[in-house]
Amino acid sequence: MIGIVAKNIFKKYKGKEEIVLNELTFELPQGEKIGILGPNGAGKTTLISIICGILEPNTGKISYLENQQTLSYDTFKSRLGFVPQELALYQELTPIQNLNYFGTMYGMPKKEIQEKSIEILDALGLLKVKDKKASTFSGGMKRRLNLAISILHNPKILFLDEPTVGIDVQSKNAIISLLQKINEKGTTIIYTSHHLKEAETLCDKVLLIDKGDIIAYDSIENLKVINKLDSLEEIFLALTGIEYRD
Amino acid sequence: MRKLKASILKEFLLLLNDKVGLFFMFFMPILLVFIITIIQNSAYQVINENKISLLISNQDEGNQGDSLAVLLQESKMFEIVYDDIETKNELASKLLDNKNLAAILIPKGFTKYIDSKSEKTTNLMLFQLGLGEEEEINNKLEPIDLNLVYDPVLQENYIKSIEGILFQTLSILENTNFIQEIYEQLGVENEAGALKQNIFSEKINIVSNHAKLTENAAPKPNATQHNIPAWTIFAMFFMVVSLSNNIVKEKNNGSFVRLKTMPTSILVSLFSKMIVYILASFLQVLIIFSIGVAIFPLIGLPKLNIDINFFSFFLVVLIVSFTAVSWALFIGVFSNTQEQAGGVGAISIIIFAAIGGVWVPTFVMPSFMQMLSKLSPMNWSLEAFYTLFLKNGNLKKLLFTFVVLTIFIIIIQTLSYLKLKKDKLI
Repeated sequence: MIGIVAKNIFKKYKGKEEIVLNELTFELPQGEKIGILGPNGAGKTTLISIICGILEPNTGKISYLENQQTLSYDTFKSRLGFVPQELALYQELTPIQNLNYFGTMYGMPKKEIQEKSIEILDALGLLKVKDKKASTFSGGMKRRLNLAISILHNPKILFLDEPTVGIDVQSKNAIISLLQKINEKGTTIIYTSHHLKEAETLCDKVLLIDKGDIIAYDSIENLKVINKLDSLEEIFLALTGIEYRD
Repeated sequence: MRKLKASILKEFLLLLNDKVGLFFMFFMPILLVFIITIIQNSAYQVINENKISLLISNQDEGNQGDSLAVLLQESKMFEIVYDDIETKNELASKLLDNKNLAAILIPKGFTKYIDSKSEKTTNLMLFQLGLGEEEEINNKLEPIDLNLVYDPVLQENYIKSIEGILFQTLSILENTNFIQEIYEQLGVENEAGALKQNIFSEKINIVSNHAKLTENAAPKPNATQHNIPAWTIFAMFFMVVSLSNNIVKEKNNGSFVRLKTMPTSILVSLFSKMIVYILASFLQVLIIFSIGVAIFPLIGLPKLNIDINFFSFFLVVLIVSFTAVSWALFIGVFSNTQEQAGGVGAISIIIFAAIGGVWVPTFVMPSFMQMLSKLSPMNWSLEAFYTLFLKNGNLKKLLFTFVVLTIFIIIIQTLSYLKLKKDKLI
C-alpha cells in the first residue's frame, strides 16, 4: 500500500494570472479510497497530474510512502495505476492487443499479462469482445477497457480522473464494484468525479478543493455532522456555492 | 528491448489499420508513377519517334512544294496527311476540327521563289568570279510566306522542334536548287548530281552522350529512370499524413500521458514509430522499384535499370527515409489537431515536391526558385537518387548530399525534442 504526502504545492500556469493550486498541504493515507472533488476549474486534474509526476509544481514537494518508507519516483511509478480522463487507449487495436502493449510497458512478464488480461476483461465484461477492435465498442466498454489497462499490473495506488464520465449505469456499476474489490485487496484509490452520489458510495474521505485552496478534507460522515447536512451533494453546494463555474 | 519490440508491434498494427495512410503511402504513389511515366514516355516518343501529325496543303504549282513535302516525310518526325486548302484561316479551322497537331500551307509561287533565289545567288557568285553581268544581281525577290499553323494545345518546345525541322528542310531544298542552278548556268547541269550527293552525304555524326560520375556504364536516362526515384521519394515523404496523425492522436487521447506514468519512456514509443516507418519506406522502395523493373516493360515502358551499387542504394534509402520520418515527427509534434497535421503535412510535402524538382526539374526554374529548392529536403533526396540512378555516382559523390540531409535531420529532430520537452511529455 502506498500513501502520499503533499507539502505546500503551488501551481500557476505560465502566462496566466490565476493560481491553480495555492500552497496545498495534505496527506493521502495508504489503503484508503479518497475522492478529490471540486467544481469545474478547481484544480483537480492539475493536482492529480502533479501527484502522478505528469506535471511539476512551481514549488512544494510530493513524497511517496510505502509502509512508512519513502519511495523514489521511479519506484512509485512501477506501483502506480493511472486512469486518465481521456480514453487513453488504441481504438484500432483489440483489448488483448492494448493490454499486451501496456502490460509490457509496465514491465510485466508475458505469461502474467496473458493471465491477468483474461481475468480483468472477464471482471469488466469484455472477455467476449477481447479480439474485437475497441473502435467498435460503446462508450461504456471503452471506459471499462481504459480502467482495465491501468489495473493490469496490480497497482498499489490507483488514480482515476473522472473514470465514469458519460457512460451507462451498468458500466458505472461494474467500474465502482471493481474499484471496491481492488481497494479491499489493499490498493489505495484516489478518485476525481463530478458524480457526488457515486463518490459518496465509493469514498472513505473527500478532499474538497475550490479556487486552488482546500476547503474541506475529512471523512464523509464527519463532513455531514460538521455541516449538519445529509448528503455529499448538499455539503458540496454549501461549501462551494451555487453560482455557475464556467 | 521487450518494450521496444512491443512498441514496434503496436506501431505496425496501427499502421496496418490506417487505411488512409496506407493509401497515401502505397497506392497513390504507385498510381502516380504509372501515370506520369506513361505520359512522359509518350511525350518523349512524340518528339523522337515521328509521331507529330502534320497536315500539308500544297498550293505550289511547281515541283519544289512536292520536294518539301517529301523531305519532311523523310525527316521521320511527322505523320503527314495532305489536303487542298487554299488559305491559312481555312487551314486553321480544319486543324481544329481534326486530330492534326500542326499544318503547313505551301503557298503558290513557292517553286518560283526558290528558283528565283537560286538564280539570284548564282548570278551574284558568277559576277564576283567575273563570269556574269552586274544587272542580273539586282533583281528584287517578292517576299513569300510559308505558314505553319499549330494546335493551341501544342507546347512551345514542340513548336520549336517543328520549326527547326522545317528550317533545316528548307535549307536543303534551297542549297540543292542553288547547286543545280550553278551547274545549269555553267552548262554542265548533268554533272550536278555528284556534288549534291557529296554535300549531303558523309555528314558529321552527332553522338549524344549523357554525363556520368564514374567510368562504369550508366543507365540511359529515360522517363522511368527519372520518375521511379522521384515518385518514390514523394511516397516516402507522404508518410507524414499517417505518422503525424498517429502522433497527434496519441498526444490528444492521453496515451502519451499514460505512458508518462509508466516505468517506460515516451522516447521508446517515438523510436519504435521511426523504426516502423523507416521499414515501411524500404517496402515502398521495394514495391515501386520492382514495378519499374518487372511491370513497366510489360506495358511498353522502359525498364528501370538498377545496375547500381546496392550498398550506396541502401544508404540513400536509409537517409532519405530517416529524413521523411523526421519531418513527419516534426509535423506531428507541432500540430495540435489531426486536421492540422494532415493538412499542413500534406501541403508541406506538395510544396517540397514542387520546389524540390519532383514535378518540374529545378534547372528550368528561375534562379531565386533554384535557391529556394535547396531548402527542400526532397531536392536533396532527389539529388541522392539521381546521383545513383542517372549519374552512376559512388559514395564519395553522395557524401555532400548525405551531410546536408543529416544536418536537416538533426535540426528537425532537435526542434521536435525541445517541443516535447516544453510540453512536459519527456
